[in-house]
Amino acid sequence: MVQSKSTRMLRILFAWAVVLLFMFPLYYWITVAFKDAREIFDSPPNVWSFSPTMKNFEQVFGISFGFEQQQEVLPGGGNFYMAPRLWDSIVVALLSTALAVAISTIAAYALSRMGFRGRHHFVAWVLSTRMMPPVAVAIPMFFIYQDLGLMDTYTGIILIHALMNLPLAVLLLKSFFDDIPQEIDESAIIDGASRWLIFRRVILPMAKGGIAATAVLCFIFSWTEFLFVLTLTQTGLKTVPVVSSSFVTSTGTAWGNMAALGAAAIVPAFIFILLVQKQLVRGLTLGSLKQ
Amino acid sequence: MSVAVMRLRRMVSSDHPLPWLSPLIAMLVVFTIYPLFYNIWLSFHEYATFKRRLVYVGWENWSMLIQDERFWESLIVTFTYFIVVLAIELVLGMVLALLLDSDGPGFGLLRALLTLTLVVPPAITGMMFLLMQDPEFGVLSYLLELLGVLDSTTPILATSSLALFGVMLADIWQWTPFMVLIFLAGLRSLPPEPYEAAMLDGASAFQTFRRITLPLMSKVIAVAILIRGIDLFRVFDYVFVMTSGGPGTSTYTLSLYAWQQTFSFIKWGYGATLSLVTLAIILIIANLFIWRAKVRW
Repeated sequence: MVQSKSTRMLRILFAWAVVLLFMFPLYYWITVAFKDAREIFDSPPNVWSFSPTMKNFEQVFGISFGFEQQQEVLPGGGNFYMAPRLWDSIVVALLSTALAVAISTIAAYALSRMGFRGRHHFVAWVLSTRMMPPVAVAIPMFFIYQDLGLMDTYTGIILIHALMNLPLAVLLLKSFFDDIPQEIDESAIIDGASRWLIFRRVILPMAKGGIAATAVLCFIFSWTEFLFVLTLTQTGLKTVPVVSSSFVTSTGTAWGNMAALGAAAIVPAFIFILLVQKQLVRGLTLGSLKQ
Repeated sequence: MSVAVMRLRRMVSSDHPLPWLSPLIAMLVVFTIYPLFYNIWLSFHEYATFKRRLVYVGWENWSMLIQDERFWESLIVTFTYFIVVLAIELVLGMVLALLLDSDGPGFGLLRALLTLTLVVPPAITGMMFLLMQDPEFGVLSYLLELLGVLDSTTPILATSSLALFGVMLADIWQWTPFMVLIFLAGLRSLPPEPYEAAMLDGASAFQTFRRITLPLMSKVIAVAILIRGIDLFRVFDYVFVMTSGGPGTSTYTLSLYAWQQTFSFIKWGYGATLSLVTLAIILIIANLFIWRAKVRW
């Protein structure tokens, strides 16, 4: 559409204003991570002028940036060393992503390429499992995991996170596979290739981008998941979102430490999502863009 | 070779869909079908504190549900949350997507920045907004006080008429960009011809949006509503960390109520009953929507 120069400028200005408004809570949260406890409780809130400190990060990650260490009483007398929890998060997110992507890739291939009776109903059923509220899964799983000894274990959390991601991963990957023309499979079959060979040698390389995007989405959902970890772990492992609530103590909330952990936890997920943004966004329309 | 053996051999070859689908089916059966039946079984039992085990109680949990005022309250809270947040995220998401649908300088960066909100764990988003809405040192409360909207005598999250909106704010902040990104993918793939025709006919920008963009985007919008709608109805993280259902019962959603009944009050049977009702409502609404909006995949 033809736009005059001034409307175009106005649009750019307005777009920046809105996006910066959305970024403000994050900016503020990051400043809290660098603030001293006193400055966090400043009234009116201190948005621009504060003296940054690395203390919160040092306490949370147990590393020293060479600043003077001061002994101080932490709220709740708590131990805020959270580096092992970051490791828990990474292990759970990576392994559950690998499992979910492996299972959903092969299933999505069959759903995209093989015609069989009830295929449409099967896809609908897969989607409907996503409608199950996490709490409806967590309650019975609490008992089942106790019986099986999976409570409070990596295996248990990895399995449940993989499950949680399966429906969306299958639908995403199916829409990516649907984008690859059927003729490629058909000509390979005429040449005598088996389905498995076609899948490995032709479809997988062609759908690389889509698979990466799906993996990133699974990673983020596992990385940010709260209810299952809250319910199905006790002391053995805890992921970042759940452990964040341990900064809320009976003698006050350690906002600075919480923000430091939260800010650090955003970084890996953000890098991943930037790498696959285009494919991910197209995939999330679940193939509804095709006319 | 007998027919049965040949059929069996075909079923385990890579030409048959079964080997491809069996890991998925196994996972879904173990982790959703089995829990579903376990929940149904649980809903007819209740933990007896003195006997220290589950005892059969018949339909007691279900009749309790119907008479439970707090269940009906949480149903209303969940529906309010679901409708208000979905509407705001849809409209705001569409407006922002139209605004950002440009190849001008810097727009790629703006779109990338917006994805930042999506990678913040919802529990941490909840904490973020909890801090910002703190009546004494929260930056949002301060801003609202400056604007004269609210003063520190009415803390947002501790006032029962406002608390739910305080929670909604976190959800809207986090997930509006998700809508924006989906809508942008749709907008960017629209065919140019109808727009050229509309311009020749001298249609206004609003008419073009109403008569061309919306109908062409209807499928994308339907998918966005479906994905977000399901998540909104199961909302748990934000209310859990921000208000734990309070003040009073003003922010108790169904998921939170079911979780608390189960794990805080050790009413396993009743918690299972509540979670089953939540599931049933989502299934009904979502399938009605899929059917009415003709969502296909």
